[in-house]
Amino acid sequence: MTNLEKYTNAFVEAFDVDAETAKTLKYQAIEAWDSVGHMGLTAALESAFDIMMEPEDIIDLSSFEKGKEILSTKYGVEF
Amino acid sequence: MEKNVIITGSNRGIGKAILKKFAKEGCNIWACARSPKKEFEDELKEIADKNGVWIEPIYFDLTSSESIKTGFKQIWASKKKIDVLVNNAGIAFIDLFQLTPEQKIRETFEVNVFSVMTLTQLVLKMMTRQHSGAIVNMASIGGIDAYPAHCAYGASKAAVIGFTKALSSEMAQWGIRVNAVAPGATETDMIVSFENKSGGNLLKNCAMKRKAKPEEIANTVYFLSSDEAAFINGQVIRVDGGST
Ligand SMILES: NC(=O)c1ccc[n+]([C@@H]2O[C@H](COP(=O)([O-])OP(=O)(O)OC[C@H]3O[C@@H](n4cnc5c(N)ncnc54)[C@H](OP(=O)(O)O)[C@@H]3O)[C@@H](O)[C@H]2O)c1
Repeated sequence: MTNLEKYTNAFVEAFDVDAETAKTLKYQAIEAWDSVGHMGLTAALESAFDIMMEPEDIIDLSSFEKGKEILSTKYGVEF
Repeated sequence: MEKNVIITGSNRGIGKAILKKFAKEGCNIWACARSPKKEFEDELKEIADKNGVWIEPIYFDLTSSESIKTGFKQIWASKKKIDVLVNNAGIAFIDLFQLTPEQKIRETFEVNVFSVMTLTQLVLKMMTRQHSGAIVNMASIGGIDAYPAHCAYGASKAAVIGFTKALSSEMAQWGIRVNAVAPGATETDMIVSFENKSGGNLLKNCAMKRKAKPEEIANTVYFLSSDEAAFINGQVIRVDGGST
């Protein structure tokens, strides 16, 4: 599985959406991505990439695209 | 109960009694302390062998969040379940408020409050995934009652109590319980600073007119973390021999 697939899967599992919808998501744009859902998403990302995210990065993760940027610049995940 | 437990300030005082209690009950322990010492590690090995559990020393200084994170990464890397976190370590600065330097107030809050929040935030990463866990914070009756010379220490422990209650309401949805123990005067090194400033009045309000033994505090911490306390959440349990 590629890193992009792993990344997308985390959104799919956390929010119970399909992969295409996952790619368009922004924080609080759907009911499932509330603050509690956000914790589930970060846990899924931490598990998928075996990383420990800083609270500041968890707060900054405001969309699917922003999350990719954070993971690649701060945690060395290549997409 | 066979659980994996993190205990801070486990090298002496109440923390050491907590470590021995959990080991005796069959728990595995990450024994957190400020810095490596051979006698400490020898003693951990002895306690682990005696009780058939593993005890791993983890070193970090609670005044540095970077140090806490580095220490926690060792626990994280083990990929083991974290069942219990005991935020025990603490410092006391006991003097009249007007004789309390700002630096001492900051130091007291750094160790007693901010480090507790930092470590708890890290541990919750695991506990929320597991959908289970118990956290026991060490408060003090000084965070509930009013005592002269307790402004910095008492305020820090009141903050611990506020944190405990708020967090308990937040984490219940993940099956995580958060409680606190509020000891009265307890026979450890720390009590010396209280005794020196109390003018002989240390046990004035204690109905049982004696100090607690560290083991008596440890028993309550253990109980709150155990499944016997499965429906106790957001509480602060005084262990102070009753007040008059
Ligand atoms: N004793 C009492 O009468 C009493 C009453 C109410 C509440 N309490 C609370 O109970 C808890 C334990 O107190 P105690 O009586 O056992 O005190 P203690 O004998 O003075 O032990 C304090 C522990 O905290 C650790 N600690 C302090 N600063 C640290 C730092 N910057 N980094 C890492 N570890 C640090 C100490 O490590 P080092 O050995 O490296 O210093 C030691 O293990 C504290 O939270 C205290 O406020 C105590």
